[in-house]
Amino acid sequence: MKLRVLRRLVLRLGQAVPILLVVAVVTFFLMHLLPGDPAAIIAGPEAGAEAIEKIRHQLGLDRSLPEQLALWLFHLAQGDFGRSIVLNQSVLEALSERLPVTVSLTVVSFAITIPLGIVAGVLAARFRNTWLDSAVMFLALVGVSIPGFWVAILSVILFSVTLGWLPASGYAPLADGVRPWLLSLLQPAAMLALFQIGFLARMARSATLDVLDQDYIRTARAKGVSEWRTIAKHAFRNTLIPVVTATGIILSLLMGGSVVIEQVFALPGVGRLIVQAILTRDYPLVQGTLLVLAFMFVGINLLVDVIYTWVDPRVRYG
Amino acid sequence: MAEQGQTTLLLGAATLAAMLLAGDGAVAQKRGGSLVYANVSAVGTLDPQAAAAVVDLEAIHHIFEGLVEMGEDYGAKPMLASKVDISPDGRVFTFTLRKGVKFHNGKEMTVADVIASFERYKKVSPNAPALADVAAMEAPDPHTFVIKLNKPNSLFVEVMKTPTYSFAIIPAELKDQPGRELEPVGTGPFQVQEWRKDSHLILKRFDGYVADETAKGADGYAGKKTVYLDTIRYNSVPEANTRLAALQTGGADFIATIPGDLAKRLQGRSDIKVMSVIPFCQATFITHAKNPPMSTNRSLRQAIATLVDADEMMTAAGQVWERNPSLMFKPSYYFSEIGASWYDRHSVDKAKALLKQGGYAGEKVVLETNANYAYMRDSSQVLVEQMKAAGINIELKMVDWTTNQADLSKGTGGWNMTITGLCSGPLLGPQQWRLSLAFAQNADDPVVTEGYAKMFATTDPAERKKIWQGIEKYFIEEGYMMKVADIADLRGMNDKFVGIKPYYMQRFWDVWAK
Repeated sequence: MKLRVLRRLVLRLGQAVPILLVVAVVTFFLMHLLPGDPAAIIAGPEAGAEAIEKIRHQLGLDRSLPEQLALWLFHLAQGDFGRSIVLNQSVLEALSERLPVTVSLTVVSFAITIPLGIVAGVLAARFRNTWLDSAVMFLALVGVSIPGFWVAILSVILFSVTLGWLPASGYAPLADGVRPWLLSLLQPAAMLALFQIGFLARMARSATLDVLDQDYIRTARAKGVSEWRTIAKHAFRNTLIPVVTATGIILSLLMGGSVVIEQVFALPGVGRLIVQAILTRDYPLVQGTLLVLAFMFVGINLLVDVIYTWVDPRVRYG
Repeated sequence: MAEQGQTTLLLGAATLAAMLLAGDGAVAQKRGGSLVYANVSAVGTLDPQAAAAVVDLEAIHHIFEGLVEMGEDYGAKPMLASKVDISPDGRVFTFTLRKGVKFHNGKEMTVADVIASFERYKKVSPNAPALADVAAMEAPDPHTFVIKLNKPNSLFVEVMKTPTYSFAIIPAELKDQPGRELEPVGTGPFQVQEWRKDSHLILKRFDGYVADETAKGADGYAGKKTVYLDTIRYNSVPEANTRLAALQTGGADFIATIPGDLAKRLQGRSDIKVMSVIPFCQATFITHAKNPPMSTNRSLRQAIATLVDADEMMTAAGQVWERNPSLMFKPSYYFSEIGASWYDRHSVDKAKALLKQGGYAGEKVVLETNANYAYMRDSSQVLVEQMKAAGINIELKMVDWTTNQADLSKGTGGWNMTITGLCSGPLLGPQQWRLSLAFAQNADDPVVTEGYAKMFATTDPAERKKIWQGIEKYFIEEGYMMKVADIADLRGMNDKFVGIKPYYMQRFWDVWAK
């Protein structure tokens, strides 16, 4: 059985190669389609056309696009993700410095999202068509509808400026201690989780409702099993398949959402790195970062697949 | 009478100085303290010879120094040189270097470092053309640097004071380091303690700093700099609301660039001050001198210039601003009212008459602007409505700042006109303006080339001013530059530090903690 799972994993990893190649090529062309010139950014607003052209030449930007693409892919094949034009740093080094921030943000946000989303969804399903159901679904709708950027600013005004409970910006690394680390992440992580909690609650409610209508639940109830035991022991595990799918998506969305949240809370993570890289047309950095993120998303999907086999034996033996 | 007037002026200055000292002096100057500065973006490079962004330059000028620097009045002042002698023909410049000046690595600065710095500048700086006329650099002794030019340039020392693409002196052993990859070792009052790109930079006091004891005190980026702070931390906080919150909650002691509408949120906080730096930049529309129909129709350019409404535009942008018809800021020696008759005309009727006179037949005009800077976006939108009212076929092209800047520098993107903020030229003088005049894509215009050649050749300041006024008048009257207003930069600070003063780029020497 373990061998089968392993084979499946290797196969999926193999399938990731063409996906990553497509991501690489598409990203390359999308970035180069954008107007603007990194050489002009580097040279500065007072530089003449000659100085800008000199920098373009130094950076190899005066070569044809196919030539630049071929060169980038050639270096990629050797594990060289290139060098950031603006940061003067290798792309992998830049990423490795910022990844802990984004991973921390994602983990804390995930830890907030999953229990709250699932509990809210299951409660809404259990008390279907009651005020609790309406309240949960209303809050979920609000959560998925309001712009994260706006709520984050309001949150800073309330929790940081007015109440003074949480820091307004910045990141304290884990090395500084768990408490400052958590305090620096709590507010951005909660804001990031807001949308996902709503999404997960709606998903969990729907999945629980489906399961609660099944015959085996009716049988459990007929046998006199208590309602909470029925939900916890018989219904919950069966609601997990769609919920696991949703959590995989959520994990990816959390990483994507970090782009906005890191900007608002001045967290030096991958999200902010990529925004700055796009703004300054730092081609190698955008291309390399997106490729690594794509690889991580593939990894998350793979993880979801593995969890499936644990949650649902039909997947394992199918 | 003149004597009496002078005495009165001196007394006035003394009284003012005493008042300032009383304010600052209430708290004794002492060493220690760390200041946190939340800026709009991260420091991208610490290479003074290649850097142009204000965020980079503010940090750079704490680490590096040049032979001359800009003073409090933005004129050239000696810094690492104790004096500069200029030959009567304006071709030979002899800099006497200050003795005993130390780099952060402990080495004493000599003329070898100066020559190496200029050699590197020629290789890596986007402003290298400024040294195109250098015929020779000589070192008659370890503390004398002589630079000889092919052509006279009476403004050469003024050129060298530029804070952008600074002529900073670096240790000779670093001369081969590529542009933007320079190890940050200078002679400045602070040195790098920690730098995490795209996040923060920490500078610490350089205890081996050798101040210019001949100066009475700090003078702009020159003079006698005294360092009290242990460290300055530059944080990158791009979102204005978050910068403001950081100041309000104590996460930052000083913050850059507060939008006018957000500054109101600080009202009622006695522990927080908003400092207005004005003039900071000029909001100016620029015409592309090579793209028709505006390049070929003078009356069309003048008609559009006639529509500019400073009050309407600046109010729309919520900008703190001042009226100023000149391409120079008011404290400048070169300031004049030469462009006054074309300033802030805001007349649709006059514009229509000019359009008729020029035979405008509805050809499309492309106005490129960006969404990143509110005053550029809003001024453009106001102008577009006025152009429509005058019957001009206008297309507003909204791009991001990166695209706008590249199009402006290179003349690409198919724009007929665009808007930008011009800062260093109006502040530092005609020699600096030359770089920005090129935005109109007519740097090869004989009015510019011949004008500058004459200006550099003359040693008479009055004559230079007259020549500059000719260039300025040409750019305004021909509708290549349409001045809107002088605009301010609002900065915020708490009350934990003493000595912070408004300046184009912020300085933290002669600043101490309470």
